[in-house]
Amino acid sequence: MTAYEINHLTRYYPNQSQPANDDISLVIEEGEFFGLLGDNGAGKTTLVKQMANLLKPSSGQVSLFGKLVSDSPLYASQHIGYMPQSGMALNNVTVDEALYFAAHLRGWSRADARQERDRLVDLLQLGEVRKRTMFQMSGGQKRLVALATCMAARPPIMILDEPTNDLAPQTRIRVWDILREANANDGTTVILVTHNVLEAEKVIQRVAIMKDGKVIAKGRPGALKAQLSRQLHLEVIFSPNIPPTLPGSVKPHQISPGRWHLLIERDEAATYINSLSHDLAVEDFRLSTATLEDLYLSMVGPA
Amino acid sequence: MQPLHVQLFDLTLIQLTNWRWSWRASVIVSVIAPVFMIVVLSVFAGDDNPEVLGYVLTGNMVLTLLMEGVNKVSGHFMFIRTNGTLDYFASLPVYRISIILATVGAFLVLSLPAVIATLAIGTAILGLPLNINPMIIVVVPLISISLSGLGAIIGLLARNPAETSSFGLLISMFLFGFGPVLYPVDRFPEIISTLSLLSPATYAASALRQVVLGMPDRIPLTVDIAVLAGIAVVLLWVVNSRIEWRGR
Repeated sequence: MTAYEINHLTRYYPNQSQPANDDISLVIEEGEFFGLLGDNGAGKTTLVKQMANLLKPSSGQVSLFGKLVSDSPLYASQHIGYMPQSGMALNNVTVDEALYFAAHLRGWSRADARQERDRLVDLLQLGEVRKRTMFQMSGGQKRLVALATCMAARPPIMILDEPTNDLAPQTRIRVWDILREANANDGTTVILVTHNVLEAEKVIQRVAIMKDGKVIAKGRPGALKAQLSRQLHLEVIFSPNIPPTLPGSVKPHQISPGRWHLLIERDEAATYINSLSHDLAVEDFRLSTATLEDLYLSMVGPA
Repeated sequence: MQPLHVQLFDLTLIQLTNWRWSWRASVIVSVIAPVFMIVVLSVFAGDDNPEVLGYVLTGNMVLTLLMEGVNKVSGHFMFIRTNGTLDYFASLPVYRISIILATVGAFLVLSLPAVIATLAIGTAILGLPLNINPMIIVVVPLISISLSGLGAIIGLLARNPAETSSFGLLISMFLFGFGPVLYPVDRFPEIISTLSLLSPATYAASALRQVVLGMPDRIPLTVDIAVLAGIAVVLLWVVNSRIEWRGR
């Protein structure tokens, strides 16, 4: 069954001549793990807010399970869990309270809501902070609570806006595992907005890439990456203070200090390997087929 | 989806968490100004006319409710607009009116200790005999809700927190000083006395004088209650139609 069908969605903000979303059409099937990628200001958050019925389209329609979300104010909220980009909005509730109230207000009984609270505390390893309020927690902990609140009462659709922002690497891995399990075991449709293309590639089944308010590519990552079949992904690791000299004209994308990613032509690979092998600044390098990140960067350009 | 009364209960508890540690300080702040006014207007001004002292006591209870209802509610609505709280609630299956009523209800609960403290301290200072009418349990909530409705509208219409704070204070002070709230009606020019019938504070003060001290008033208590109820309904309707909720 189709979860979301979006037709010619356009959204203008007041006093802005360019639309934040420009004639977007998308279909997301039930049970899909769908990624929405794009640079800052590409219109991703505007799009998901309209999908959650938190923002009204200027034109176009959003259907959820065959029904227009705009027809009934409460319809979308009965089917989705929404995790906003801005973190946890309730500052003075404890973790326990946030989870309990979310499950209870989504229609569960008080006893079931308490059980759900305990399940989520265990699942996201929030036991040590469950009595703390949001004011007493770090940015990463708040993101985890916001995710847990979104998951409370197991909504059939979760819309997650940058869920792994502010999270430590180990916690990010755990979050991806939890989302993958929710998708695989419970059949939850997961719609993910993210910048973290490298990590998202491991979980998402279909993707839409946005730029300047438009969807410029959509499909399965493998099919989209086929566009880059003549190119290879090169990762170079080096001492941050001594950048290596590259043989070609390709501009590297810096992932972190001392770590570059490059998209090179296949027939240039030998030249690069030869050059990097003899460069004393280079600590390691890896060559692989092009990644979703390469596709993303080739479409939206490096940040 | 939960029924309305369950939503109201949960949402009121959530709103009350905003003051789980600060409610004592909040009450003290709301009581200090009225009690200071009572001391200044009675002890230092030396006016021992019981009617005037009755106005001073109930007028300052209105001041307490204005500070809680207009100033704090306006700031709170501005806050929940700007920090994403409204979007969070809108993403849950709850009615728009539930969050409005829960917020107003939470401020009513929060205002009660301040109103009771102002009444108790003011009575002790002024030495006035209380003549409590059971209708006080209707009057105080109606005043709180109608003034909270006004505060909510300020918080929804203002463009930023500074504007909210300024407008909230300005309107509170205007309502407090405009008409027979703190002083008897015969001390005002005729035009002010007539125009004051447009102010909710006039009906709030009149009702409090009647249910706290049993003082006769130019406006019957039933009229006070009807007008305050009407103001509350109209203002909450305006808030419900103006609030940025689900795609407006």
